[in-house]
Amino acid sequence: MLMIWISILFPVLAACVVALGSAKSARLTALVGTSVSLAALAIFAWNFPAWNTAEHFPSVSGPAWIPAAGITLSVGFDTVSLLLALLTAFLMPLCILGSFTAITQRSKEYYGWFLLLGSSIILAFAARDAILFYIGYEFTLVPMTLIIAIYGGTERRVAALKMFLYTFLGSMFMLASLLYVAWELRITSGAWNFDIDSLIDASVRLPAANQYWLFAALMVGFAVKVPLFPLHTWLPLAHDQAPTAGSVILASAMLKLGTYGNYRFALPMAPAGGAELMTVVAVLAIIAILYGSLICWVQTDAKKLVAYSSVAHLGLCMLGLFALNPMGAEGAVFYMVNHGLSTGALFFCIGMFYERYHTKDTDVLGGLAKRMPIWACFMVLFTLASIGLPGLNGFIGEFLCLGGAFTAEHDGQSGYPGVLGPWYAIVAGLGLIFSAMYLLILLGKLVWGPLREPHDGATHHPHVSGVPSLSPDLCFREIAILTPIAIACIWLGIQPKPMLDAIAPCAARMLTHYPQEVRRHLEHTSAPELTTTTSVNDHERATNE
Amino acid sequence: MNAALDIGVASGFTLAVPAEISIALMISALLFTLGIIGFLCRRNMIIMFLCTELMFQGAALAMVSFSRMRMDVSGQVFVIFILTVAAAEAALALGLVVLLYRRRETLNADAWSELGES
Amino acid sequence: MIHEHSIRAAALAPELGWVGLALLLPLLSACACALCAALRVKSKAPAIITSLALAGSFVIILTAYFAYTGPVEVPIFQWMSFQWGTQSFQSFTADFALYIDSLTLFWMLFVTGLGTLISIYASEYMESDRGGGYCRFFFGISVFLFSMSALVLGDNLVMLYLGWEGVGLASYLLIGYNYERPSAVAAAKKAFIMNRIGDLGLALGIFMLWANYGTLQYSELFAAMNNGGQSSVDWDLSVIPFLLMLGAFGKSAQIPLFTWLPDAMEGPTPVSALIHAATMVTAGVYLIARLYPFFELHPEALATVAWIGGSTALVAATIGMAQYDIKRVFAYSTISQLGYMFLGLGVGTSFGACYHTLTHAFFKALLFLTAGAIMHGFAGQLDLRKLSGLRQLPGWRIVSWTMFVGCLWLAAFPYTAAFFSKDAILLQALTSERGDFRFLGWLGLFTAALTAYYTFRVWFRVCAGPLHYEGGSEGHHETPAGHETPVASHGTVASSVQPAPASHSAREGHSVFHPHAPRLAINGVLVILAIGALLVGVPAYDHVFAHRENWAQSMIAGSSAYQGAGIEDAHAGHDAHQATILGMDAHTGLTVVGSTASIGGIVIAWFFHLRNRKAADQLRAALMRRYWIGWLPICMENKWYVDEVFHVFFRLPMWVGGQILSFGDRHFLDGVLVDGLAKIPLGLGRLFRPLYGGALQGYAVTMAGGIALVIAWVTWIWVRGFN
Repeated sequence: MLMIWISILFPVLAACVVALGSAKSARLTALVGTSVSLAALAIFAWNFPAWNTAEHFPSVSGPAWIPAAGITLSVGFDTVSLLLALLTAFLMPLCILGSFTAITQRSKEYYGWFLLLGSSIILAFAARDAILFYIGYEFTLVPMTLIIAIYGGTERRVAALKMFLYTFLGSMFMLASLLYVAWELRITSGAWNFDIDSLIDASVRLPAANQYWLFAALMVGFAVKVPLFPLHTWLPLAHDQAPTAGSVILASAMLKLGTYGNYRFALPMAPAGGAELMTVVAVLAIIAILYGSLICWVQTDAKKLVAYSSVAHLGLCMLGLFALNPMGAEGAVFYMVNHGLSTGALFFCIGMFYERYHTKDTDVLGGLAKRMPIWACFMVLFTLASIGLPGLNGFIGEFLCLGGAFTAEHDGQSGYPGVLGPWYAIVAGLGLIFSAMYLLILLGKLVWGPLREPHDGATHHPHVSGVPSLSPDLCFREIAILTPIAIACIWLGIQPKPMLDAIAPCAARMLTHYPQEVRRHLEHTSAPELTTTTSVNDHERATNE
Repeated sequence: MNAALDIGVASGFTLAVPAEISIALMISALLFTLGIIGFLCRRNMIIMFLCTELMFQGAALAMVSFSRMRMDVSGQVFVIFILTVAAAEAALALGLVVLLYRRRETLNADAWSELGES
Repeated sequence: MIHEHSIRAAALAPELGWVGLALLLPLLSACACALCAALRVKSKAPAIITSLALAGSFVIILTAYFAYTGPVEVPIFQWMSFQWGTQSFQSFTADFALYIDSLTLFWMLFVTGLGTLISIYASEYMESDRGGGYCRFFFGISVFLFSMSALVLGDNLVMLYLGWEGVGLASYLLIGYNYERPSAVAAAKKAFIMNRIGDLGLALGIFMLWANYGTLQYSELFAAMNNGGQSSVDWDLSVIPFLLMLGAFGKSAQIPLFTWLPDAMEGPTPVSALIHAATMVTAGVYLIARLYPFFELHPEALATVAWIGGSTALVAATIGMAQYDIKRVFAYSTISQLGYMFLGLGVGTSFGACYHTLTHAFFKALLFLTAGAIMHGFAGQLDLRKLSGLRQLPGWRIVSWTMFVGCLWLAAFPYTAAFFSKDAILLQALTSERGDFRFLGWLGLFTAALTAYYTFRVWFRVCAGPLHYEGGSEGHHETPAGHETPVASHGTVASSVQPAPASHSAREGHSVFHPHAPRLAINGVLVILAIGALLVGVPAYDHVFAHRENWAQSMIAGSSAYQGAGIEDAHAGHDAHQATILGMDAHTGLTVVGSTASIGGIVIAWFFHLRNRKAADQLRAALMRRYWIGWLPICMENKWYVDEVFHVFFRLPMWVGGQILSFGDRHFLDGVLVDGLAKIPLGLGRLFRPLYGGALQGYAVTMAGGIALVIAWVTWIWVRGFN
């Protein structure tokens, strides 16, 4: 518990120090702050007793914060949230390191906001109180908006505003749903209580129609953040305009809040609704895969390409989640971490050449393997991880997600029936081919081929005077950023077993109510002659509750 | 004492207001109206400020009257508050007016219309 | 359809963990090469490390072969395994483990053996790149061999998939070795993506197997097959072979996914040898052989394989006849020979297919390496019209005559190893009870004649005839432009063995071009390969002359590839059928017909390309003049326009679709819907804007008006009554 609070609050403290201190010391303070946060979380993870159970740890709830409203300061992790929080804490120091040369003006505020950003994301993952989660979830928008609006590209204001309003609107739906569930809980128990587990217990008892709307509202909220197909348009713009480190955190950690929200709230809270709507979400996810891939294909802006590839990749993640069987859920959770690593690293790589050439246009720039061989090695590695090459991390999640969708069938031999199936997996599997296509096209333009540089000769001298000029290839600091991610990618690809084992019980717990609900749903829809038995089941269900 | 002011026609709701109180209320309404009219019609910032004070006093008088009628001191407590706030406000507002005058050499409120979007 | 299978159950043998070294050694050498690259090593260290590691793997496999007693499973470590319940279908197991049976060993022997030889060859071939891409090249080779070993040795289908994609990666890195040449980059990309299409089929096949049998380990799969599987998906079990087939066709370059293979020769020649002979393209054959029992889940599955294989053999042979680039001819011959292997698998002789894979691996490696030696020596010259009579050139005799051996084998000259392996396939086809298989057999015979023709077209053109040559246009065909060192060698005598860099003077004009002959590493490997090509015939001679069991057959027979209904290998039961070919006993008949086809093809090649070279051009011109046949040479020279078809039907529509979607995303979804929604509050704001003009009194009026409205409302309610 102490370690969790250290990892959340120490960056806040560091942010205060940054605000009071000088601009020169800001980046070191920020580095220390995020490193301590990571260290605290790592110590916590090392001593984490619940790796192989679905339990939260610490299991006791925290001190009351606003007693009248039943809001408590309770934090704790299960393995999934711990992994995602670790991912965030792991990337934060790297992001700070990556901003040393990129951010030259108003750097004090930048590092301050960045520290707060990291804290709030970890808070959202750690929260066991729905309101606390909401605070962390929403507060991420403030620093991120400022980081984009102040330090971004030419259209930064529009991008920041759009991101803020769009995701804020989405989270209103989520907040309303959470309050609704809390209200229902208050009716039955007599007191306000926002403990997530209690909320889930209360909401699974709701009638199916209520769960349907509850699920839809939660889904809208989280789908904006994921982002799922029609609600994704804020993302490419935000990524395009954000500074490098902002893009990294946005892609790696903030988007995961959306998928994590599905895992933590939408799916367990409204199993009846989830069972009804899983086809819709799965179809949207598949559309996202194909749509994102095809758009990637014609992108000439490297950063936008990776942004759209996020849409496609997270579509696959959602498909795995909504296969509603352990294989898919396992793959989806694994994929969240993998996507964070490989896409974050790709954004780093793009940022590194952007700092040198001030363009991301692959029509102008290319063949960088000649000029930046070390960078090219990393770029190829992370691209391959993103493509899902076996032996690297991306493959495990991708394979299990697809496998989950493929085996989500009526009979459900694994004990988990579903309504997806081979056709869904085939269409989604086209994404496998497409992802290889657009990422290899990116590689072919950017890394391979004859060297093309935007302005001849004086390429590696930044235009801003007074900035230390960067070496043509990566410097030690940049290698130090990419190496840990590369090691993580390879390690997770070779040794996924500990993580898979850790995720499995949590994935199973998330799906507790699903076999029953999906079966009910199937009986309702596919077999009208079975209505009598269904009504009997309904009756039984009513009496059981 | 018995002169009841019967306004509620359909509702049958009656509000019994003693005569001396009703006179005080009328005066308060008069003060408030005068304040509004002055505020709307004049452009001189000091006069406008005085008019807002007039409205304040109208409201304060109404409170005192109701307090008297209900024999409840909380209305009078509020009035004390209002007076205090008004005094503080007067100090601030006059200071502001002086500052504004220094900027534009005029007390016309129309000189300060940048707040509008159009 | 499903018969009793008698695949020997695999024993668990953790004590055989040392076989895992065969995987570990290439991996370690890959790491060492990466380290060399990081340290900017300029010596031949990467080549030596890689060759030693691969030789070590070969020795380990050889030891394992001699120690082999029966199928075993060797667990190494747990990889992608987890469970969510205790019953079947409630766990997913894909461990890093080895499955060693005779098929595995058979495959690994030639994979590691040829891999070693090719890497030794490459140590000399690539030497001008030392300090540049040398480390990268051997890194790629190591990854290639590691992936292929994982593919073959793996104990489950996910590990096979690991190797499957791994060879795709390695081929991507190696084909794109000269990354500054756009054509190499494009070829690398094409190879990876075309393989990916097949990979999707394989992945779906894997899911399908898991969904039906609840396991992906070979031994458990074979055991579960006896129970018939319990289908839980909409699809029937019988789609499994078709899905797996797609994967095999992608990797082994069959119709319609074959166009990547000829382009793959953009890579350095040792890579082509590696891809074509030992490592990559044989994976498809291995997959089908390994999962042979599952190909009987649908009665027409094997027939489909046969048809695809037979037609690929023919189509690729026709294209090969019309190419002028030596490597391209050999590339198409690979596709054609792979077609034979699939034909063999399809008609039911997995022995024939696997044996042909073995013989093909040797002679094709030999042919590519000789082509590479020519390319190396003649500054990238590969046009067979510009080279002639090399066997008279001092220092090129070994190359010429080893090439001759390779060509004889490829042409399936009577009583060479390839003759017997091809014979096994065609015999099975021709004696089949099915009419369409017999037709495919005759098609195969016709293709064999074509093969003999185009093979010897190359040899007669390049190695025979009057001595004449032109250097290529490249300084060194694989040297990046920046590496070239201008060496003044005007007027130097054309010595047979020159130091390598001294002769890179192709730019100085053809008149003073001096080819540099290969040295020990290249010549030695060529000779060893030629001897190997002779030796792989020994099992067949053993069978034909000494009437002992063919060694290859015994290896295949002990594995899953030999099981299943309807498989009666022609060699297994002489008396099982009384089929005849042209009125003769099947064996004799095929020997006669096959020899005729081979020798006939060679004679025609001799006539057109040695005796009277002008006749070939005249024939081509004569064909082109006649409109009813003129399309044939044009189509053959343009690869039947398969690339163009792909482009028009797949790439172009998708590109256009991408542009449309991209436009729609920006202007409709974001522009109209999202920004449009955002305009609603903006419009509402505009509506009330006049109330807030900036004049203080304006605000006051608004406020007073608001108050008045509220009062009016309250009064109205009051007057109207509270109910």
